[in-house]
Amino acid sequence: MAALVDADRVDVSANFQRDPANINVGAAALTKAQLKAAVDAVDDWAEANAAAFNTAIPQPQRGAMSTRQKTFLLAYVIFKRAGIL
Amino acid sequence: MATIRHVFEAGDAEFPSTNGPAPILNQGTNFPVGGLAFDATTQETCFFKFPAITYGSGNVTVTVDWYADTASANGITFGASLACITPNTDTQDIETKAFATENTASDTHLGTTGQRLHTFDITVTNLDSITTGDDVWLRLRRAPADAGDTMTGDAIVTRVVVSYSDT
Repeated sequence: MAALVDADRVDVSANFQRDPANINVGAAALTKAQLKAAVDAVDDWAEANAAAFNTAIPQPQRGAMSTRQKTFLLAYVIFKRAGIL
Repeated sequence: MATIRHVFEAGDAEFPSTNGPAPILNQGTNFPVGGLAFDATTQETCFFKFPAITYGSGNVTVTVDWYADTASANGITFGASLACITPNTDTQDIETKAFATENTASDTHLGTTGQRLHTFDITVTNLDSITTGDDVWLRLRRAPADAGDTMTGDAIVTRVVVSYSDT
């Protein structure tokens, strides 16, 4: 997976604002520019750490799971850690 | 000398085929709260129509009552513009009539309570030669790309009041 192009990052920021769940996330006091900068930083972090995340998954699971499955695995683990799931 | 007021609730709005604000009815604790939800990133537009009954002179004031859907700080910008047609006099095709140049105004969330009610005025100085008896269309839209529109989330407009002097 490559880093998101700027238009996609703008789309993420927009969807984050439209998602009713953001009431719980707490974007209330941010400006749109601050939120977009946060999206940029998170995507940059994801790009820089994608390989490390992949190698953290032990074999043979790493080779057996698709990128889509690994993405959901990461999301579910983080959601659970944050008390969202 | 008196001030003429036209009061519009959310249900009075007319919408374009795309990018209109979402009509919403939030079930509050004690009563439902209706409004038009204007997106923070996509420019959304609605229209109100009124007759310029006993318009006298001067600017037209568009008062916008609004509250934030999810935010508790920062600013919004809205724009208002008029399109006026004098029946039996203007030969303009009503379906191709253009709006006068838009006037904008900004407001800032006052904090403390996220969904508190705010109000601000847009002073419309580009009047499209409005005269008493005109059929007038008002275009209202949020300006998400404006430097003053920094607030995240929807701005929900609950009421719009158009006012002007009769002298």
